[in-house]
Amino acid sequence: MDQTGTPMLSARGLTKRFAANVVLDGVDFDLLPGEVHAIVGENGAGKSTFIKLLSGIYQPDGGEMRLEGAPASFRGPQDSMGRGVIVIHQELSLAPHLSVEENIFLGHFPRRFGVIDRRHMREEATRLLQRLLVDIPPATRAGDLSIAQQQMVEIAKALSHDARVLILDEPTAVLDSDRAELLFKVMETLKAEGIGIVFISHHLEEIFRIADRVTVLRDGKVTGTADVADVDQEWLVRHMVGRGFSFERVAQDLSDRETVLVCEGLASPGRFADVSFTLARGEILGIAGLVGAGRSEIARALVGTLPVSSGKVTLEGRAARFSNPRAAARAGLYYLTEDRKAEGILPNRPVRENATIANLKAFLRNGLLSRRAENRFIADYTRQLDIRMAGPGVEIRNLSGGNQQKVLLARALSVRPKVLVLDEPTRGVDIGAKQEIYSFIRQLVDEGMSILLISSEMEEILRLSDRILVMRQGRIAATLQHSEADEASIMRAAALG
Amino acid sequence: MRSFSFNAGVLGELHKRAGVILALVLLVVVASFLSDRFLTVPNLMNVLRQVSIVGILALGMTFVILTAGIDLSVGSILGLSVVIFAGFVDQTSVPLAIALGLGAGVLVGTVNGLGVAYAGIPPFIMTLGTLSFARGLSFIYTGGTPVPILDEGFFFIGNGSLLGVPIPSIILIVSLFVCAAVLTFTPFGRSIYGLGSNEDAARLSGVPVNRYKVAVYAISGFFAGLAGLVYSSQLSIGTPIAGQGYELDAIAAVVVGGTSLFGGKGSVFGTFIGTLIIGILANILNLNGVDPFVQQLFKGALIVTAVFIMGRSMRAR
Repeated sequence: MDQTGTPMLSARGLTKRFAANVVLDGVDFDLLPGEVHAIVGENGAGKSTFIKLLSGIYQPDGGEMRLEGAPASFRGPQDSMGRGVIVIHQELSLAPHLSVEENIFLGHFPRRFGVIDRRHMREEATRLLQRLLVDIPPATRAGDLSIAQQQMVEIAKALSHDARVLILDEPTAVLDSDRAELLFKVMETLKAEGIGIVFISHHLEEIFRIADRVTVLRDGKVTGTADVADVDQEWLVRHMVGRGFSFERVAQDLSDRETVLVCEGLASPGRFADVSFTLARGEILGIAGLVGAGRSEIARALVGTLPVSSGKVTLEGRAARFSNPRAAARAGLYYLTEDRKAEGILPNRPVRENATIANLKAFLRNGLLSRRAENRFIADYTRQLDIRMAGPGVEIRNLSGGNQQKVLLARALSVRPKVLVLDEPTRGVDIGAKQEIYSFIRQLVDEGMSILLISSEMEEILRLSDRILVMRQGRIAATLQHSEADEASIMRAAALG
Repeated sequence: MRSFSFNAGVLGELHKRAGVILALVLLVVVASFLSDRFLTVPNLMNVLRQVSIVGILALGMTFVILTAGIDLSVGSILGLSVVIFAGFVDQTSVPLAIALGLGAGVLVGTVNGLGVAYAGIPPFIMTLGTLSFARGLSFIYTGGTPVPILDEGFFFIGNGSLLGVPIPSIILIVSLFVCAAVLTFTPFGRSIYGLGSNEDAARLSGVPVNRYKVAVYAISGFFAGLAGLVYSSQLSIGTPIAGQGYELDAIAAVVVGGTSLFGGKGSVFGTFIGTLIIGILANILNLNGVDPFVQQLFKGALIVTAVFIMGRSMRAR
């Protein structure tokens, strides 16, 4: 890495306020040519705001930015893009009905005699994709690509704009580890070409895999910048949360507990078959497996959003084949989705309404919805879960992912479920919020709730579960006791059967 | 805890609707400069009476648009109920005629809702279908000729007043408060916002999405019937072309009132103010003798400008 060159992009004392709220406070930052510079921090630490300043979506209230040594201020994303600073957002934004090459050149099509020069476009697109070492035919419809491929097309699109600085906002959040590795290869190629890369990730091990330097943000301030080679995970965590993060395992004896949920021979055609398990009161049953093994599908079948062809389910001894989530919730079974954005949050409604929507009846006073009762409820969980927000009246889309998830947890608990199905409860959630969610889950089971925990994070499954079901291709491949489960035994069952 | 109570109640409503209310106030000020007849009680009552029909339609439309739907059939439902009122009021009794006319509105609305919720037909298409269908029924029922209404008592609904306030306006304002209460204080109303904001999330949270969708179209149908009641009583004639194009005026009032066509955002108070803004604009143009053809230009410009300004203020936040 060239430590001596002029920074591609630098910031000095960058500050951003929203009303009285200082979300970014005097941030100094340098991105050198050919460097991967990671930014880490908890949700709400200011990462998103920082990116939005770098790309001109927001204008800073103080401080200055320089682009290759010259003072720079971006009027908007178009402006920054025109000057080679390009953000790849977590939510990809390709036009699904256009081809790969059309997507790459959307907005700046190569022209000949006033019409699109298809041949030139095809050549350029092919060249860009080859530069990224990916094998995607440029004529493919973008909607037919996998998420990982779409990401590559976004990067190719960035390169078509002569990207000098590439900002990747949690690019690996939607990728499995193989795909993430491919992305890292591409990042290495771009590095070698002298492009500076800003890399945001929640996965600390990825920082050590790909980044040269790392800057830690906490509450809008930089708490540390270091060469990755000089620091360890503990250092990162300490700077992120200001305290250590413990990974202790907890075991509990469930032998004399009554059984709450029994599932026998459950099957859904084309999704899963022959699924049998029991869940005891106060137990956390982890469901592990590779993506596509049918884990979420089981949960969806339980609450009636996927068809069940055969099998028997009982909840506290009563038949529990539900035809819709409403019936399931009434009987005491609630499913908290893995896809917060698509089917979790009510984006343009206040936090308060997001928290209470699942059981509005509980907030009736004299037959009318009582805002006071609702506010009491959300205030209670705000305290318990440390939800950070300006107030229960703000639209939930303005909250960070971790805080949104906490609100959805409150929503789930408003129905007072006997069995709570948590699907990837900490996806896209930072390490501090994760810790809080974990201890909250423990508290729930201590109070007698039973939990089905679906997770792709090994550590999460191992840390929380009393027993672990491992799914493979729609079937239960193994049931492991807490004591016999480790990463190797789970992976063996998930991948080999 | 200050922020916890800030958005509550009337103050919160005013705060959220500040833009629309400001526009209304501005319009009133400008209007009173343009004509000294504007700020007189008879003229204001006249405005209130004139906006009643579209105002009532727009209330029902607000429910539908809050779910990210649209109801193009309200003008035709109004027409259908008008000919039913006319057909029955003199043959049977006023209450029975009213029940049948309103019932027809609810029925067509329910058909809309069933098509949208259970058959998965896009609201635009479904209600475009019933727009044509209901209008066809009115023509068939009347054979294309207007049916006169003779019952004196029936006229009172459209033309009478109570303490100086026109009855149609009283119907509108009472409906407004009932709708506002339903949307604010009932689980049904709250769920309407939720399902408009994110239908899948609402379903997973246990909201009976399909049933509620049927309900909002039935409500819209009911208000279309109610507007038809005012219409037929005001004109004392049941004409099968009644209400043609009114759906667009109702949508305009909802949109000018700040309700998002994408669902989950808006209120009936906003819609009411939107209705007033459009009504006052028409009134002031009338008072100044502006050609009715030219008035259309003003209305069009108003709608686009209003949405443009609201869009900007939303982005700015």
